[in-house]
Amino acid sequence: MSFVRREILQLSATGLAVFGFQQTAPAFWGQIADNAAGQENILVVVQMTGGNDGLNTIIPYTQDEYYKQRPKLAVPKRDVLKINDEFGFNPALDGFSELLEAGLLGVVQGVGYAQPNRSHFESMDIWHTCQRKTGDRSDGWLGRAIDQLAEGESTETTGMHIGNRKQPLAVASRLHRVPSIRSIEQFRLQTQEKDSIQAMRSLAQSENSEADSLLNFVQTSTTTAIDVSQKLQQVSKSKNSNIQYPETELAGKLKTVSQLIASDIGARVYYVEIDGFDTHAFQAPAHTALLRELGDALNSFAQDLREKGMQERVLTMCFSEFGRRVAQNASDGTDHGTAAPMFLMGSNLEPGLIGKHPSLTNLDNGDLKFHTDFRQVYATVLDNWLRCDSSLILDKQYESLPLFVASR
Amino acid sequence: MKSGQTNIDPDWAWSAFQPEQPEDWTQRQVAHFYRRCGFAANPEMLQSGLQKSPLQLASEQISNRQESSQVEQVSASLARSVLATADAKNLPAWWTHRLLNTSAPLLEKMTLFWHGHFATGAEKVKDAQLMFDQNQILREHALGNFGSLVHAISQDPAMLIYLDSASNRKVHPNENFAREIMELFVLGEGNYSEKDIRELARCFTGWEIRRDQFYFNRFQHDFDEKIIFNDTGTFTGEQGVDLVLEQPAGAEFVVGKLMQFFIADEGLQHPELIQPLASQFRDSGLETGALLETMLSSNLFYSDYAMGRKIRSPVDFAIGLLNAFEGTTNLLELNRGLDELGQRLFYPPNVKGWEGGRNWINSSTLLARANLMQSLLVRDETRFGGGSLSQYCKTHGVTSLQEAIDWFVEILLAVPLSEPKHSELVQRCEHGSGSFENNLRRGLGLIVSLPEYQLA
Repeated sequence: MSFVRREILQLSATGLAVFGFQQTAPAFWGQIADNAAGQENILVVVQMTGGNDGLNTIIPYTQDEYYKQRPKLAVPKRDVLKINDEFGFNPALDGFSELLEAGLLGVVQGVGYAQPNRSHFESMDIWHTCQRKTGDRSDGWLGRAIDQLAEGESTETTGMHIGNRKQPLAVASRLHRVPSIRSIEQFRLQTQEKDSIQAMRSLAQSENSEADSLLNFVQTSTTTAIDVSQKLQQVSKSKNSNIQYPETELAGKLKTVSQLIASDIGARVYYVEIDGFDTHAFQAPAHTALLRELGDALNSFAQDLREKGMQERVLTMCFSEFGRRVAQNASDGTDHGTAAPMFLMGSNLEPGLIGKHPSLTNLDNGDLKFHTDFRQVYATVLDNWLRCDSSLILDKQYESLPLFVASR
Repeated sequence: MKSGQTNIDPDWAWSAFQPEQPEDWTQRQVAHFYRRCGFAANPEMLQSGLQKSPLQLASEQISNRQESSQVEQVSASLARSVLATADAKNLPAWWTHRLLNTSAPLLEKMTLFWHGHFATGAEKVKDAQLMFDQNQILREHALGNFGSLVHAISQDPAMLIYLDSASNRKVHPNENFAREIMELFVLGEGNYSEKDIRELARCFTGWEIRRDQFYFNRFQHDFDEKIIFNDTGTFTGEQGVDLVLEQPAGAEFVVGKLMQFFIADEGLQHPELIQPLASQFRDSGLETGALLETMLSSNLFYSDYAMGRKIRSPVDFAIGLLNAFEGTTNLLELNRGLDELGQRLFYPPNVKGWEGGRNWINSSTLLARANLMQSLLVRDETRFGGGSLSQYCKTHGVTSLQEAIDWFVEILLAVPLSEPKHSELVQRCEHGSGSFENNLRRGLGLIVSLPEYQLA
């Protein structure tokens, strides 16, 4: 590999200066991660693309303001799946409801960031890179985590993106090419002639190209693709559980993640997307279907992991680039908003609602005010779950959140 | 995109390229022109291109706004049969047929550019006729006036459906279209406020579709005063579009995007480089053709900052190979492949279109590139100049495998292949044990799987 290996530990020494002023995580949270070889903790990120309407996901069913602002879109109180005396899930989320009952689901409320940007692409880039437009966006927060986790190892599979579309910037790394695969079976070269594959691999070697050039990028991406596809041919016969996943795209992707984890390919970070949350018009049927797809897929994934005995070491985290405006618009939909909940699934979590629901009356131009920075969630997961140094990944030490149970 | 200082002199960059030595104007430059301004050149186009000056090449393409009647006839009859199925899924095959046969390559390339710019997806619009009609609007204005194009697209039924304008009413207007016209179509992120969006959305209230046509419903239009970019008035939707078009930031935004599309994926987004062209664009009243004439005949366009500095889009990747050797193939198979590669025509991934550059490349799309070529090249129905690849080579005086490999590499690659790689390639191709035809096809398959071929 011809990348210039940078001393990433030196990259952000300034981050350490801030460390002293921040409340840091109690030491015992650090005990959660039990990193015996082959038993390392794994993070699965689910991106809900388009801006999920948090207010119709976690419903403040006792608040008149909610029903006032959403005459057509509000979920009636009687239909809500109750979490407590004030809040409940959208009725399509019985998957989440079951997960919560099993103690496997945490909901972080009011997540966002200061000076929110309401462009899908800009806000998504902010979530992916943790940088504003003027900052350096050449890699993503998970890409930087992957560089830390893989340090010293020559693995091309520390992170994996499940999907064959554009790769999310979140997993872009300076040092590694994160493979994107749609399914294990399809991830292969059609030609099975050893000679052709060898020729392709050998001719793609990057002996004389500049490290940052497009050519070098394509070369290293090609050798990674061939190597990983060869590797997957060998592991593709890994055990499958008896759990029936729903016939949805997200469920299919999570099933692939489960197969890959079981195959011991060694990835620590998986990334999947579910698209369609940009519900400007006629929101109700589309949003309901998406939440059902999400809840049911995660529920099956959890059962599958339990059956395979992998539940303890997999944490799933769902986010969206922003929430939606409190008031509905004239097309029976909602426009781009700000703060929204994030969802975590795993067996070491503090289950239930974490943090307050943002006020429906104290608004910023019709939008909910965030109280928890998304980077606090990232930091907590990076430090306490992946055992990374979040201050190097996020440029400073963010205050951690009580997401995990103190010990197990 | 990083923007900072550049060492490139803007005066030099945008002056017309005037080759002084014979080696400044070779097949390599002409091939570069057609890779960028069309979908690659066949040997005959390369030969005739050499006889023209860089400026002639560009102006000829820019004034070539009418498809040949022969191609138009076949394309129209194909369109009729596609539209008769009323299934938008058949539209990509129609367009790729046109891309493979066009006599106006730049017109098609710009139509594709605007399709990505004003991205509208058939997944949501569903109606094949409306998607087809939008494609005609894009082609009609492709090399014309940008302002006219924005006006036309803002009342285009497919766009109105795609961005939910068609259900926009006076009370609580829907902001989707107002946001995207500022962010993605004309100004770029950061050149407007959230308040501008809300106010502009009010201008578009009452814009509806009736019987598949744009319709203004005055009962749903908000006739009250609006404040947009510090201008106050009872603006209509059309006036709202004009206000956006009058913002100076627009020219920079469009020029920057065209530079990325035509010149280089990365490294050229410097204000000093963009400004001279943006001024020209503004002064001309946003004439796209005049802007492109400067851009596509410039020193910068033919410089090392440009050659090989783009990643081929899937369309450039597949159509480029076929056009280079006058190839034809099964269009449905070709389009299934393009989908796997990440560029399904009429189905852009979202309103931002295809972002291009490094985004085209990941392990899945790379394997899909190799697999698509493998599956096209083993098919007998993939023909070159109407016959076999070996016949085609022979017609062009190429008779041995070694000669063929040299010829393919020379025509197809935008960046030189290193000497050791070239010898290794020849050696590995000679290993083939099949017929001459099969060995040629295998060699070609290997060449288009090279990282070098992924660059344009």
